Amino acid sequence: MLRKGAKAAFQGAAVASRTFASGSPKAAPERLAGPPKRPDLFDLSLTDEQTMIRESVKQFTDDVVRPAAAKADEACAPPDGFLERFDELGVRLMAIPEAFGGMAGERSPLTNVLVLEELARGDMGLAFAAAAPLAVIHALVDGGTAAQQAKYLAAFAEEKPFAAAFALVEPRPLFDAHRLATKARRSGEGFVLSGEKAMVPWAKSAQLLLVAADLEGAGPRLFLVERGTNGVTLEPDPSMGLRSADLGRLHLDDVAVPRDALLGGDEPALDYATVIDRARMAWSALAVGCGQAVLDYVIPYCNERVAFGEPITNRQSVAFMIANIAIELDGLRLVLYRAASRAEHGQSFRREAALARAQAAEKGMEIGTNGVQLLGGHGFVKEHPVELWYRHLRAIGIAEGGLLV
Amino acid sequence: MKIAVIIKQTPDTETVVKINDAGNDIVGTGVKYVMSPYCEFAVEEALRTKEKLGGEVVVVSLGPDRVLETIRTALAMGCDRAIHLKDPAYEGGDGQATAKALAAALKTVSPDIVFAGKQAIDGDQSQVAVRVAELAGLAQATIVTALEIAADGKTAKATRRSEGGGEVVELKLPALISCEKGLNEPRYASLPGIMKAKKKEVKELKPAELGLEGQVGAAGAKAKRVKLLPLAERKAGRRIEAETPEAAAAELVRLLREEAKVL
Repeated sequence: MLRKGAKAAFQGAAVASRTFASGSPKAAPERLAGPPKRPDLFDLSLTDEQTMIRESVKQFTDDVVRPAAAKADEACAPPDGFLERFDELGVRLMAIPEAFGGMAGERSPLTNVLVLEELARGDMGLAFAAAAPLAVIHALVDGGTAAQQAKYLAAFAEEKPFAAAFALVEPRPLFDAHRLATKARRSGEGFVLSGEKAMVPWAKSAQLLLVAADLEGAGPRLFLVERGTNGVTLEPDPSMGLRSADLGRLHLDDVAVPRDALLGGDEPALDYATVIDRARMAWSALAVGCGQAVLDYVIPYCNERVAFGEPITNRQSVAFMIANIAIELDGLRLVLYRAASRAEHGQSFRREAALARAQAAEKGMEIGTNGVQLLGGHGFVKEHPVELWYRHLRAIGIAEGGLLV
Repeated sequence: MKIAVIIKQTPDTETVVKINDAGNDIVGTGVKYVMSPYCEFAVEEALRTKEKLGGEVVVVSLGPDRVLETIRTALAMGCDRAIHLKDPAYEGGDGQATAKALAAALKTVSPDIVFAGKQAIDGDQSQVAVRVAELAGLAQATIVTALEIAADGKTAKATRRSEGGGEVVELKLPALISCEKGLNEPRYASLPGIMKAKKKEVKELKPAELGLEGQVGAAGAKAKRVKLLPLAERKAGRRIEAETPEAAAAELVRLLREEAKVL
């Protein structure tokens, strides 16, 4: 009481003692302009082309991906002809340089992020399947030797797309992308690979595999392995989420590959750690897309769902949960776009990619579980897609590789 | 073959439109604009015609700056070049004024065949396509669900949808085809197409360049929209309360018969 009284008296004294002079007014009020535009700061505004690309992928997602999601999850495979359908968007040709019959004029990680995000809004598993061959194409473009590009990029540029996959994750505790149990040893003119990989998409149909393996203790390297090579087995291994990507387990039993299978040869143009960073951005993009699907679903649902005589959004416990999804999602998107934008402008993006990935893993799962929670009992049943999105979003924390932006 | 397609930009079907204070137009801010869905069928058919018979596809559209986005979408789908009728003088026209401007623009192209949507999904008047055909002296088939163009590019056979059935007509080209759902499945604007679209020519034409000063837009309109009415609000449904399902069903049948008079 005494303390409060003393404080009030002190403040009162301060107010009474100050008088302000009128000064000399200017003709117009003074305002400060922003600093001059700094082109080296990251810029999140999309180009006209990126806006159109996003719109076009959105149409495809609404027409093809979302309606196919539930069945593909059940079948543990994309619908027949899915890769061909996705190819109508021309994403494959946009990744392959003109010299090999493609139409790529530039390499834009941000555009790739936008495409992945939109696809994953339809279904994360199908997005993984659609973009899996692109990861192999990007790796060839960024790091392949002239011979590897001539052999494989030309094949990728043919009229019809084919399934390919980038196999990185290993089925063991505390998997670390930089400490691989899959080994490659030099043998005669080539290499011999042995080990096991999990979460490999297109288990039934992948023709070409990009496999990460430790090269005789010199650290991880990437190898191009054709499906038909002796010792290669790729068998279906459906998981909790991402089932629609036809996930499988890859066994490499002393697989002998030629010298030319080592991506980039002995002097790789592509830094392995950068590949991991690009993959982390890709998984963050999938989390953003799937999280957006959750948000777009729970808002109308909770506004229309009436309990205790009023829409459940009138309850703060519901409204706050939805607001938090929106906040976390926008935060994640900004971190991710920042990483992609830095990658696009040749700036270092390792830290930003790691931040995006950490945020995507944690907040993605939270968004998934809250999506189910907001629908109450309806969240638990298959009639609504939120349980599927929950299962997908659980994958972000354990996925590595597989995709590139 | 010279192929032209006229397209219109309309509010997205998912947009909730609001009527302005004057009561004669919608509030433009916050509205997402897209290519009218029937115009998508027209663009697709134009592109398929080109793929089959060769030639060039020219897009023609009338409207303010924002219409350029929709024109770019058509170019990204594969059209070769565009004519944009952009001038404040074009604004505020009716179907006749708009058709006059479009017909004059088409004259600069002298197309063998013109595709259009059967109607735009905003005004739903189905006026422009038929008027353009009349003003440009083209044969026309409207509400077309199937089209075959002879290999020599001189005639075409069009299947028209009519109430409960269909009608097949033969036309001499040059002709205008107004496109109905079912004619085709419009393609997506592909990524390579989008990247190329910006380099394609979009020519702006002013009324003076078409010799139509004072004859287009509000000045050339014969009809003027005076009022827009909002959709009537739907009455809330009625809930039938009864002791048993049987009693509820009986009450429902009674209401359908006596009040709704549909049984």
